[in-house]
Amino acid sequence: MAAAVMSRCRSRLRFSSRWFFRSYFSSDSSGTSGSDPPAADTPRSGFAAAFDLQTEIRREAGNSAAGLRGSSSGQDESFASLLRRSPLVQMGPAKDRAVVGRIFHVVQDDLYIDFGGKFHCVCRRPADGGEKLQRGSRVRLRLQDLELTARFLGAQTDTTLLEAQAVLLGPLEGRENRD
Amino acid sequence: MAARALTKGLLGLRQLRAATTGYSCGGHQYATATAAKPLQPVHDDVSEKALSLPLDKPDFFRVAELFSVKDLFDARVHLGHKQGCRHRLMEPYLYGCRLDQDIIDLDQTVEHLQQALNFTAHVAYRGGVILFVSRRRQFGHLVESTAQDCGEYAHTRYWQGGLLTNAPIQYGPGVRLPDLIVFLSTLNNVFQQHVGIRDAAKMNIPTVGVVDSNCNPCLITYPVPGNDDTLVAMELYCRLFKMTISRAKDKRRQMELVHSLTAPSTPSS
Repeated sequence: MAAAVMSRCRSRLRFSSRWFFRSYFSSDSSGTSGSDPPAADTPRSGFAAAFDLQTEIRREAGNSAAGLRGSSSGQDESFASLLRRSPLVQMGPAKDRAVVGRIFHVVQDDLYIDFGGKFHCVCRRPADGGEKLQRGSRVRLRLQDLELTARFLGAQTDTTLLEAQAVLLGPLEGRENRD
Repeated sequence: MAARALTKGLLGLRQLRAATTGYSCGGHQYATATAAKPLQPVHDDVSEKALSLPLDKPDFFRVAELFSVKDLFDARVHLGHKQGCRHRLMEPYLYGCRLDQDIIDLDQTVEHLQQALNFTAHVAYRGGVILFVSRRRQFGHLVESTAQDCGEYAHTRYWQGGLLTNAPIQYGPGVRLPDLIVFLSTLNNVFQQHVGIRDAAKMNIPTVGVVDSNCNPCLITYPVPGNDDTLVAMELYCRLFKMTISRAKDKRRQMELVHSLTAPSTPSS
């Protein structure tokens, strides 16, 4: 009982202190620029309410139009244009290209990295920065080949290893700097 | 071993259920002429209307809405193998070859996939047994869980030689074979085609198969040219098949309820 009364007093005190702060700031802002609107919690009326409503409607109309345009352009885009604009085609030959991959499986020292191609690549964990690289971490790679294939003697078709080949350059540094 | 026992048990159960409800699907229930007499299909107005109604429209289950070219593109379905691995009979389905890598034509894939999903939906609507087959070890669990989620069957382990062709002797007389086999990868390893394709063609079982640029699309009833090596693509196929089969089964339940409510009361057999 006493605890409930105490908590109620404390909350009332907190609320009153917040109100004091808000009034202080609003008075400060109204002091600096006289025509500033009042604090956000007081209801708008008249022209201010109408203006708010109209800006909301215009913003929503703009968003929905952009969304529709985006989705319709996604539906209407042909396979040929999708292919032409895809990163894989824009990249060109895969030899010695730097790409970003993501580790999706780890077997002790082997890292299985997916970089957005048909196959994944398998790289050995580097000795120095190896412990940071776990499942889900993003790494930089230098691609050598998108698919390891070779035609052996007497065979009709190529034998494929169902893997790509890439050299692991290290973890993606930009993310750590951003964090 | 356990998978085979499980398949056998489930197939036996399915046959009992089919016998009690009286729906028959296809004439390949028996591989050889055995002593047991075939089931007499029970026809009445309700089931006849329910069975014939979906056949009036070309896309009754609206499977074309489930995916688009953009979805296939984002799932890397258009990426094929290298030029040297190409199968001669896959050339009509290829858009071209870019820096030695074959690109599969997604416009054709969309049409083939729509036909395959439509057929799967019709088979599921009529209470058919669908078997998912894939020998890719990295996607075995995905395929098995897909089959379990939509209430159908999967076989992702070693394929015994006489599984379809010698079924009455291996599993006992009166075993019901699958009505549709969906191959999510048609190859055993990179050199051999899956034995199930040839066996299904021998037993008159229609097949749906995802054929990559190094696969042979000949014996498959509804080939779907597409990538079968990437996880994203396999997840897309599994999701599409699961949605199609669930949609078809829900439609069947709905149709039965509607017709049984509106039809006049018939004396039960």
